[in-house]
Amino acid sequence: MSKSTAPSFLSPRRILVIAQSTVTHLIRMKVFYFLAPIAVLFVGLQFFDGLWYAGPDTTLVEQELRMHKNICLGTMMLFGCLFAVVSTALLIPGDVEDRTLYTILCKPVPRMDYLLGKLLGVVFVILVAMAVMDLLMVATLHLRVEAKLAEITELLIDRGLPEREIESVRAEVAAHGSTLNLQYGVLAHFLKAAVIVAVALLISTFSTSTLFTIAVSVMVWIIGEFQWIVRDGLFNDAEYGELPTTADRIVGTIVSVVFPDFRLFGAIADGASRAQTVIPSDVGQLCGLAGMYLGIYVVLSWFVFRDKEF
Amino acid sequence: MSEVPAVEVKDLVKDFRGSFRGRKVRAVRKVSLQIAPGEVYGLIGPNGSGKSTTMKALLGLLAPTSGACAIFGRNSLKVDSRRDVGFLPENPYFYKHLTAAETVRFFGKLCGMRGRKLRERVSELLKLVGLEEARDRRLKGFSKGMLQRIGLAQALVQEPRLLVLDEPTAGVDPAGSREIRDLILELKKRGITVFLCSHLLEQVQEVCDRVGIINQGVMVKEGVLEELISLENRTELVLENAGPDLRDQIRLLVEVTDGARMVSEGKARTTLERLFLEETRDRPANQKNLQDDE
Repeated sequence: MSKSTAPSFLSPRRILVIAQSTVTHLIRMKVFYFLAPIAVLFVGLQFFDGLWYAGPDTTLVEQELRMHKNICLGTMMLFGCLFAVVSTALLIPGDVEDRTLYTILCKPVPRMDYLLGKLLGVVFVILVAMAVMDLLMVATLHLRVEAKLAEITELLIDRGLPEREIESVRAEVAAHGSTLNLQYGVLAHFLKAAVIVAVALLISTFSTSTLFTIAVSVMVWIIGEFQWIVRDGLFNDAEYGELPTTADRIVGTIVSVVFPDFRLFGAIADGASRAQTVIPSDVGQLCGLAGMYLGIYVVLSWFVFRDKEF
Repeated sequence: MSEVPAVEVKDLVKDFRGSFRGRKVRAVRKVSLQIAPGEVYGLIGPNGSGKSTTMKALLGLLAPTSGACAIFGRNSLKVDSRRDVGFLPENPYFYKHLTAAETVRFFGKLCGMRGRKLRERVSELLKLVGLEEARDRRLKGFSKGMLQRIGLAQALVQEPRLLVLDEPTAGVDPAGSREIRDLILELKKRGITVFLCSHLLEQVQEVCDRVGIINQGVMVKEGVLEELISLENRTELVLENAGPDLRDQIRLLVEVTDGARMVSEGKARTTLERLFLEETRDRPANQKNLQDDE
């Protein structure tokens, strides 16, 4: 007979079991197939020089590499976030609709463990997908940078520039290659996708359908991208032109409290694609912000889900 | 009952709110029941009578509006009460992407089992429910009866002291249904308490010690099965090889006895289910055809 000790509120092992099952579920849904067109896109970028590249000039080379990175990072962000919304929206409402959840919750599984397991599973799959896309981006970018370095070095030698100057130009071009800054940009997109998973998780705890969860999650994502514009307008009197009313301030406060602010995530990714130096403390701040959002949304999800009746 | 009851439902009331400020609907009205450890209890009632609501409240899937449910003395709203329960839902749905063995393993892991003990338990249960050969097949190809069997295996995975079965033989053929019934009796022998909901009254009658009849949310009758179904003023005799003379004598004896009356007389009958099982299990169809030809 089973032991009579009470199951702990948070059991890492049980959370991992649910996370592992979620990963298996997503893998067997063949979600990684979406990586194939992305791979084709990233590799295909190598052959589109002519669209924006007019000749071996440093500025143009930098523009070309920046464009390469922008497309790769943008694709990663778009697919990461869409994947976060769709997969989370499919899993929990799916479990309720299929009544699989009945059988799970009739075992000694605290509801928080179930939610954390689902969150962890989806985030892990996004991490793997992001890592694969990152690997593809780094590989294609490396090949491109190497080709451009060889091309531009040859040109500068022909022009008779001194070696020190050539090295300086080479360093500028190499900064647009695969650097730690670029990885910070990838991390920013991954963290944003993880926050969106938590948002979709919260919505799916009270939603009755997959479609509703997807629609509302995408809406929250879009508001999260642009809410800073509204907030800046409402709280920065000088830019606003006239003093905001109390109602404006209340609305602004609600929007900034309820919806995540993705400006910092975007700023770090932008900096990475422009080969600007990303300050590690900013990355730390970003991780803290993402952790805070994850914590808030998971606790809210549990609050809604703990007394939900089936 | 001096020991802690396996199941205790006390004055359970459950209201459901209609959508958009609709009227409240009372699904269960002050239902009380107790199941002693080792007992097989059947809850029967028409559709919408409150059986599933009572069962869900017991499993913590619904919170009672008033009253309380407990499993081995623990409040059923608390997670730890589910450590001792195995539940087989009606029309069980599981992750279709998992195989039979993976499904039982998944639920075993949720109950904290692992390693060799879990592996052995998975094999033992698949054998018990007759799905050994389908252990590596994904559930999406399973028939309803096979899903019911895998549901039973997952319900038993952590060796629960209480088994809650909601229509356990729904969609299962008569032979499979008989096996499930035998399994319930076997579990009873092992001291496992069974709480059963079924529309198949004959089946309930065969396995249950006590029965509750629920209608429109109210427990209308409850008690020991034999006491509920026996007619106090009637006696049934089943005779074998009784010739016409013996039957005449009995009839005569009844006629001369004060107040006694022969209510009915006729050939004793088997049930259609027993006939079906005898014809399909003991004698394969092709063998029967050959005999007919001869």
